[in-house]
Amino acid sequence: MTETMIRISGVSKRFGPIAAVDGIDLEVRRGEVVGFLGPNGAGKTTTMRMLSGLLAPSEGTIAVAGVDVLENPVEARAKIGFLPENPPIYGEMTVREYLDYLATLRRVPRAKLTQSVNRAMERCGLTGVANRLLRNLSKGFKQRAGIAQAIVHAPDVVVLDEPTVGLDPIQIREIRALIRELGGEHSVLLSTHILPEVRMTCQRVAVIHQGRIVADDTLDALEKRAHGRSIHFARWRNLPSPEALRMVPGVADIHPRDEGWLIGALPEFDPVPELLRLSVSEGWDLRELTPAGGSLEEIFLQLTTREERPEEGEETTP
Amino acid sequence: MRAIVTIAVREVRGLFHSPLAWTLLAVLFAICAYMFNAGVLSYQIQMVEYQAYGMRGGLPLTERTIAPMLGNAAILMLLLMPLISMRLIAEEKRQGTWPALASSPLSPMTIVLGKYLGLLLFLAIAIGLLAIPPLTLYPFGNPDTGQFLAGLLGLFLTAAAFGAVGLAASSATENPNVAAVISFGVLLMLWILSWMGNASGGQVDKMLAYFSLMNHYQNFLMGVVSSADLIYFVLLSASGLLFARQRLMAERIQG
Repeated sequence: MTETMIRISGVSKRFGPIAAVDGIDLEVRRGEVVGFLGPNGAGKTTTMRMLSGLLAPSEGTIAVAGVDVLENPVEARAKIGFLPENPPIYGEMTVREYLDYLATLRRVPRAKLTQSVNRAMERCGLTGVANRLLRNLSKGFKQRAGIAQAIVHAPDVVVLDEPTVGLDPIQIREIRALIRELGGEHSVLLSTHILPEVRMTCQRVAVIHQGRIVADDTLDALEKRAHGRSIHFARWRNLPSPEALRMVPGVADIHPRDEGWLIGALPEFDPVPELLRLSVSEGWDLRELTPAGGSLEEIFLQLTTREERPEEGEETTP
Repeated sequence: MRAIVTIAVREVRGLFHSPLAWTLLAVLFAICAYMFNAGVLSYQIQMVEYQAYGMRGGLPLTERTIAPMLGNAAILMLLLMPLISMRLIAEEKRQGTWPALASSPLSPMTIVLGKYLGLLLFLAIAIGLLAIPPLTLYPFGNPDTGQFLAGLLGLFLTAAAFGAVGLAASSATENPNVAAVISFGVLLMLWILSWMGNASGGQVDKMLAYFSLMNHYQNFLMGVVSSADLIYFVLLSASGLLFARQRLMAERIQG
């Protein structure tokens, strides 16, 4: 289970003078689901397009299931299934025709065609709409058809670019369950900027920022990196001054957000009891005190806001 | 090979799922049938006049009815083929289906050949339709079958070359309309090169005349199938396909 299915080493992609991807390394092992995080424009899509053979890297090497995408592009593509940001749907085809078509192009033997297509439809919950025109299906079904075409030829590697964008909450839950299921059989690289999605689907996370990988670790390890560093959101009727809050033992930093404060603690400190005590004794009149964001969000913010801090109070995740 | 045929079949089916293909076939057939009819009527009048002068024998039937129709059909193709070929690659990019094709284990040449084969299948259907009006001559006259078939072959090769140029244009842009304009412009230039070529007898003019599509097609209409003309059309088509392939490869590198 430790065979490397995706190996990206020293890969850069330049568009003219701009480096969209700047010397990244990334490995995904067999059966792993890896979340590929990063703000918009960080280089996620470019990386995925290079991996899927739509773009050639300017520098570095990419191997899919051991096949180099530059030396042997056609063979490498046989081992990959790709769902781009917008599902690549032929509106005038039925779901079954569509999957038949792409499975044939991806070398599924004629004898196994029906079986492969049926299985992909089953896994993506498309069996009921097999004979409907794709054009007439809802966004959720189109998205599922897009995922089905990425797995219909049972590729070693599945690359999904923001698979849950634009879906309703029920569809999102179904798609996430499907992605979790895909791991184990396929290796999955999943780009998203929805952090809870990562928590629900991925074992490992790679964070890309300004074309560089700034973190690549398991979720647990990344969270340990936060090392008990708790963050709370607090709101008072009589807002205390930042100075007063900084005086509280264990408080490391504070940011204003939504008429309250985000309060980050020093490692292994818990400022909550003291905050509560002060709220009462100083008459700040506490309205809300909640653990904020989750540590993953905090890690993400730390990793991706090193160079330029976001505007105060800006939400970086939807 | 299986992939080429698969792409071609989908292409033809996609064409017939859109009203465009049906409309084009209807317009092409209606206009050609009308022109053929007009040709036959004027042939009748000419025959009557011819015989009234006491001339013996007859006028060449095929040359005066079938050949003019096929000649005009080529001009219609010049107008219509860009509309069919413009979608081949540009439409996939615009619709966002291109990544599904480009991430499949297909070489750029396989994609180009599949698309082109699909276009040729459509063309075969169109030319099959255009063969119907001349066939109605057979019960009443004695058309020159050789010349007729040479004309059909010439029309097929000419339109196929139009399609290859259109495919090249379609690979160069994401906008089908732009592709249509480019291919129409290029084809019209190739068609009318002979105007300039015939103007005088210089070396440059001769060369221009050689590159003119019209001159090569004329030979087929006269019933002459020469290897020089065949090579011309094959080379023109191959250039279009190779250009498209180069474009697809360059796109991977440039992004």
